[in-house]
Amino acid sequence: MADKCLIEPDLSFIKQVVGLGGDTLKKCFQCATCSVVCPIAPENKPFPRKEMIAASWGLKDKLIGSMDIWLCHNCGDCTTMCPRGAKPGDVLGAVRSYAISEYAVPKFIGKAVNDPKKLPVLLGLPVVVFLVLGFITGLLDFTPGGDKIVHSNFFSSWLVDLIFVPLAAWVAVVFGIGLKRFVNDMHENAVLEGKTDKKKLEIGGLIRGLFSVIPTILKHSKFSECGENKDRATAHLMVFYSFIGLFIVTNIFFVVLYVFQIHGPYSQMNPVKWLANVSGIALIIGSALMIKNRMAKTDQVTSYKDWYLLILVLGLGVTGMLTEMTRLAGIAGLSYALYFIHLMFVFHLFIFLPFSKLAHLVYRTVAMAYGEYGKR
Amino acid sequence: MTEDKAAPVSGSILVVGGGISGLTTALEAAEVGYEVFLVEKNPYLGGRVAQLNQYFPKLCPPTCGLEINFRRIKDNPRIKVLTLGEVEKVDGTPGNYDVTIKLNPRFVNEDCTACNECVDVCPVERNNEFNFNIDKTKAIYRPFEMSFPMRYVIDSSVCKGSECNKCVEACKYNAIDLNAEAKIINLNVGAIVWATGWEPYDAAKIDNLGFGKHQNIITNMMMERLAAPNGPTKGKILRPSDNKAPESIAFVQCAGSRDENHLPYCSYICCMASLKQTTYIRAQYPDAKVYIFYIDVRAPGQRYEKFYKQIKEDKNVFLIKGKVAEVSEDPGSGNITVVAENAVTGEKIRQEAEMVVLATGMQPTTKDVKLPADLKYNDDGFIINDFEKGGMFAAGCANKPADVVSSNQNATGMALKAIQTLVRK
Repeated sequence: MADKCLIEPDLSFIKQVVGLGGDTLKKCFQCATCSVVCPIAPENKPFPRKEMIAASWGLKDKLIGSMDIWLCHNCGDCTTMCPRGAKPGDVLGAVRSYAISEYAVPKFIGKAVNDPKKLPVLLGLPVVVFLVLGFITGLLDFTPGGDKIVHSNFFSSWLVDLIFVPLAAWVAVVFGIGLKRFVNDMHENAVLEGKTDKKKLEIGGLIRGLFSVIPTILKHSKFSECGENKDRATAHLMVFYSFIGLFIVTNIFFVVLYVFQIHGPYSQMNPVKWLANVSGIALIIGSALMIKNRMAKTDQVTSYKDWYLLILVLGLGVTGMLTEMTRLAGIAGLSYALYFIHLMFVFHLFIFLPFSKLAHLVYRTVAMAYGEYGKR
Repeated sequence: MTEDKAAPVSGSILVVGGGISGLTTALEAAEVGYEVFLVEKNPYLGGRVAQLNQYFPKLCPPTCGLEINFRRIKDNPRIKVLTLGEVEKVDGTPGNYDVTIKLNPRFVNEDCTACNECVDVCPVERNNEFNFNIDKTKAIYRPFEMSFPMRYVIDSSVCKGSECNKCVEACKYNAIDLNAEAKIINLNVGAIVWATGWEPYDAAKIDNLGFGKHQNIITNMMMERLAAPNGPTKGKILRPSDNKAPESIAFVQCAGSRDENHLPYCSYICCMASLKQTTYIRAQYPDAKVYIFYIDVRAPGQRYEKFYKQIKEDKNVFLIKGKVAEVSEDPGSGNITVVAENAVTGEKIRQEAEMVVLATGMQPTTKDVKLPADLKYNDDGFIINDFEKGGMFAAGCANKPADVVSSNQNATGMALKAIQTLVRK
């Protein structure tokens, strides 16, 4: 221990991690049980013991740029076996949440997403955007009429795309900026802590790493190595595939609309509709299961950030399916109202994607890709 | 003063538990002139200390100190020892307690000369719990060489009784009565000291440490018996699976202690016990390697710290900061691999050892079954001393996890507390 090291604790970081669900942090006495019982921690510099002390010392920079916080899948084995009730799984979840709001610019949005007091403002935002843009462009028609319920007669597809295409671009830009910093930090941290054999970061190698982790992600094979929270893998897998399904459906719909000029709604006999329906149902069941698991696990901390995402995902599925069902049942007013609410959920999903817990889909994927590339 | 109105104060003290704390309380009170009843549930005195090979840090055998205490008891007419006794009921107030005690039969009277002829003819065996069931004794047995009182005893749960009768026939001194029955006695005492002691935490409850699943994983108290000259291996430290002299031994500290899932508190003695046991191994096997996995080494006070420093200097002793959280057995060799993270270097360590010792902690005997008296306990089952109320006190490990030195100091203090109750001061 010849090297002198001046610890510079970031006290506000500690406070925020505690607020984001890491309130048991200070109970840790560094016995390292967690690092041993973790089914997915590597042999060299395993987690989460070192993350626990770094978090409790307020070493923010050491943590948020670490790939290890993302390699953790919150199995919960560490929390179960912890002799102090320090819940490392939840602490790492809180650190991840902090890291997301640290990398996503502008930062105030991330803060707002994690702050329950800001929820009314965030909920009001899509309403204002929809109404203002709708009235300016005249693409929002509150008296769509007609004997068939066609949602685009009420909320024009043009208006949808006028809002959501720029939002998609926004998501890409915010993630792009965040990832650039994240990848560099991650590499620097890995070199410093001897977690990689690569000296210089090569983007080509990272992309190759990305391709080789795709099967792991698709199969959720890391998840199923978990002991304590194994049952969570099923629910997560359902939500994961339903998002992929709905992403495909949306893209097909988009192409068909603009290239072939064919408008929805599609017939129930259309295979695209089948995919949409199956995905919608899987989304509802998956997110409901997640909520059920969360409620059953009383030893696991479920904070606002978790509930925000869970309700968002469940709401997305429920409003989507109800919109379709009321349309088929011919209840026009209710169906249009549900569609409006559904679009509010979609708006939230898009605009806050890089800022909410859902951003893990990008950060964890990239961290896993880096782990693969850097031979973690 | 209220003394005139007070109930008459009994002049006797009851000490419950004949381990090192109970012996000390009884002797200290008796040697200043008070009448003492010492009740012990086992057929012998000495308690957990009798099972130890050596004390730390002086590394002297406890039998030596026990022998002196037994001598003091023999010489002191004021101490009445009641072995195989259990307190069934306590009524009354400080200065005046009515106590009901059940005395279980020993089946062997004071004419026993410990000639051992009964053992030779006895056809039944029992697990020897004094040696943590590593070996067996006959149904009639002497608890250990030094046991006091020096009389044999019959385990009625396995003895075939008068239909067998072989021991009765073999005994030249008419010392055996197979029809003896339990007796109930009543005592009136002025104060009670509870020195009910501790038991090793059940290592089988610690799922991830493999005790009971893998033969070569033993507890620290089993190690004491293996190392003790009067133990099952006559003092040779041999591993259970094949009686091999182990060339490498790993100690797992805090096995069930400082753990909310088991014993939430520090058991105080296990670090020193493992360091002490390291000296047993190093003395017997000059080339053996010892690995001690710990969270923190707690060697409190100057003398213990010095002892720890001495052990650390041994080149064959490796102290690794990191709790063992996983074990596995190599089915061929019976060797055990323990897994820990070295919290200093951040490396995951898989250390193979020929034998593993779990440094299990102490839990009070009052953890699950409470005593039949008006006592308060903390969440862990230790007796809380209520000095305001007085009359009844807990000494030694009935009150908190402690080493022998602290237990004796505490026991002496409780003798004084008991005396104060008697003299109403």
